[in-house]
Amino acid sequence: MYSTLYIKIRRFDGKKEWYQGYHLPYEKGRTVLWALTTIREQMDPTLVFTSACRHAICGSCAVTINGNAFLACKTSLDEVLETFQTPHLTFEPLKNFEVIKDLAIEWEPKMEKMEKVKPWLLPAEDGSKELGFKQSEEDYHQIAAPTDCILCGVCTSECNQLAVNDGTYLDPFILNRAYRFAVDSRDGSPEQHIQPVFENELWKCLHCMQCVSKCPKGIPLTEQIAYLRQESIRMGEVNNQGARHAFAFHDDVRSKGRLNEMTLPIKTDGLVNTAMRKVPFALRMIKKGKINPFHMPKAVEGIKGVREIYQYAKEVGE
Amino acid sequence: MLSYDVIIVGAGGAGMMAALNASEDKSLKVACLSKIFPTRSHTGAAQGGINAAMGYRDENDSPESHFRDTVKGSDFLADQDAVEFFTSNMPKVISELDYFGVPFSRDENGNIAQRPFGGASSPRTCYSADKTGHVILHALYEQCLKNGVKFHNDWHLLSISVNEGKFEGIVTMDIRSGEIHSIQAKSVVIATGGFGRVYWSRTTNAINMTGDGTAACFEAGIPLKDPEFVQFHPTGLASTGVLLSEACRGEGGYLINKDGERFMARYAPGKMELGPRDLVSRAIETEIKEGRGFGEGMGSYVLMDLRHLGEKKIMERLPQVRELAMEFEGVDLIKEPVPIRPSCHYTMGGIHVSDYRTCSTPIEGIHAAGECCSVSIHGANRLGGNSVADVVLFGKYAGIGARESAKKRGFSSIEKLMAEATEWTEKFKTIREKTNGINMFKIRDELAETMWNHVGIFRTEAEMEVAYEKVSRLIEDYEFATIGDSSERYNMAFLNYVEIGNILKLAKAIALGALNRKESRGSHARADYPERDDNNFLKHTLIYKDGDQYRLEYSPVKITKYQPEERKY
Repeated sequence: MYSTLYIKIRRFDGKKEWYQGYHLPYEKGRTVLWALTTIREQMDPTLVFTSACRHAICGSCAVTINGNAFLACKTSLDEVLETFQTPHLTFEPLKNFEVIKDLAIEWEPKMEKMEKVKPWLLPAEDGSKELGFKQSEEDYHQIAAPTDCILCGVCTSECNQLAVNDGTYLDPFILNRAYRFAVDSRDGSPEQHIQPVFENELWKCLHCMQCVSKCPKGIPLTEQIAYLRQESIRMGEVNNQGARHAFAFHDDVRSKGRLNEMTLPIKTDGLVNTAMRKVPFALRMIKKGKINPFHMPKAVEGIKGVREIYQYAKEVGE
Repeated sequence: MLSYDVIIVGAGGAGMMAALNASEDKSLKVACLSKIFPTRSHTGAAQGGINAAMGYRDENDSPESHFRDTVKGSDFLADQDAVEFFTSNMPKVISELDYFGVPFSRDENGNIAQRPFGGASSPRTCYSADKTGHVILHALYEQCLKNGVKFHNDWHLLSISVNEGKFEGIVTMDIRSGEIHSIQAKSVVIATGGFGRVYWSRTTNAINMTGDGTAACFEAGIPLKDPEFVQFHPTGLASTGVLLSEACRGEGGYLINKDGERFMARYAPGKMELGPRDLVSRAIETEIKEGRGFGEGMGSYVLMDLRHLGEKKIMERLPQVRELAMEFEGVDLIKEPVPIRPSCHYTMGGIHVSDYRTCSTPIEGIHAAGECCSVSIHGANRLGGNSVADVVLFGKYAGIGARESAKKRGFSSIEKLMAEATEWTEKFKTIREKTNGINMFKIRDELAETMWNHVGIFRTEAEMEVAYEKVSRLIEDYEFATIGDSSERYNMAFLNYVEIGNILKLAKAIALGALNRKESRGSHARADYPERDDNNFLKHTLIYKDGDQYRLEYSPVKITKYQPEERKY
């Protein structure tokens, strides 16, 4: 194992930004938070980072190491060293946040954004302040995992859509909050949580799975996004790019067992838009031999089985 | 200058509950300030649950039984009128939390699930899996967003201004800009949490639990009630103090010293590791004191060995515990024993609340709720499941109380408030420029070591006298402390400096209270006075600060229904 860790931290004082290096003696079984605390208390008291509970419930201490987000208190240095196979570690603030100073980030703009989905219970009529609600164990289990969220921001930092988005797309933890109330049997107006999600580019999730694989609480964020999409369709939001794209997939696979890449953009964007935006791109693809405009895919061999799966999914869904 | 009708300091369970209730009167200007983002507050760390006699699981349970259990648990030091008020109002608050959207675990009838807890005669602890405090904290934050509660996040309380007995306002620092603000207010709710960080590395508390509001009230002339009562948990992880569940001992874990002995045979040959919390804690500390522990100084520990339970049982019964040990101590319980040592868990004492119905203090306009204060419903020892309950219930009544105070009293003068703000501004400037002196972290660590060794789990006259002198000396050293950061914006080192000043003041009060309480009661265990002494000590300690002098007084315990009897379980 290594005897010294070479830690570089991105510093920011509100005006200028720089990287500062620290040499930290390696100790077995220590956490990332220990490294930060040791640097601050023994080497450099000017270093700023946030932390509180030290056991993964307050959500204060997430940072990125070599570009990947971790909750500092629950991440062992040994794990980090094993992952990156080097004692050279670069600590930076979470991505897709405004930085206040060094590793401290600003949460208030995120909360303003979160308010769009009405992140509070809109009580159903069968409950009251005096008597509360009845809720089945099964209904409780619907909200058990999503209420594990500690607002640590790891999902936001890892989100590849947020990295390129103009700020409209909602952070994964906000989608989780909307989901959490939409599925709560005590909530009387799920659509009030879902509609704003739909209106803020719900269909732009890239399915990269980074949020769900990095979430320190293992919250199934991508399943929730799928649920929110289905619900938006059920609410009648079918005439949009995302829903049309999903229907095109659905219909192609049902009829042929595979996609028709020629008709997919037309079904998604309409003939005019496709002609305006996609034709030059398609021509380049044809020229390079990537697609064949005359190829009309036939049904795959096992198409009968594919249709049985559709039938089964339909029955289960009902 | 900023001005509010009601200002709330602290945004944990008590603070946000107070903010919600104070802001129900829309004619009042209310704000809540917190040195951290609200959902980071320590209420979130409460795992097990919240006590209320709902009677869902045991229909014979009643607020009356909850009342009796709490008084008994307090070793008869709780004020019984306050406890009765608390237990009879708890069921209503649980329904309110349910209506706020708190995801409580449920029973087969769709009611909120309840589980048994230590010291309770019925299973009355409502819970949400093992994250009860976390979900309550988040639901309260959501309600605050819904109701447009104004927050000042990253604002640190520096002092409370009281001029000739009249509350004027508070002095705070906007951490991000480094500006010192005075805030004029008609009333204030202090809800800043406990001060377990007096024992620094040996506590289950979050790193910011430094009793800022308690120290500020103390400085402003409000006495501390019963500060000597501090609860300890026997099995904290050695390097961080993070709690390992009692279930480890419950499932049959061994406690082992340096010589490989199961040392509990010396202290509780019948029950061995299953002895009560305080006894096990004292046994571990005795082993360490007598040189049979591992490591040195504050890093000393004994081992808890679970290997004989086998992988299957550990994975089935203690998966969370295994994960904790792995993540925070780097030890796999299936393969190795884990280093543990007791850890300070809860401070029963705090700001003297003189009226439990409004949570007001002796100074009109100043209210307090939660672990920062002492109502007192916990007396000498708090029962599990009563802390989050305390926080939401008294947070609510403190909010209502402060709202009514604000309507009754106008703004006071701001003379002293302005002077205090100027003083803090100068202090901030001076300390930033100072380059030579004593390292503040050294002072903090010496304080913790002194308090742990001499005013910790078991206490004696001679040791506490040493500690009292030592803490007094550290308070003198503090005048020469340096912080090592000259920046104005987000100067975390300066905040640590203020926090260390606070725990020093509170530590001295703990030592003074403990030294003068010549009996053993609840969490206060004296080797030289092993018995409870109702004739002389069935009374609350009140410690006042007059300048640099500490003054000790006592006040009677309110007994309405239950006469003290021997506490047997």
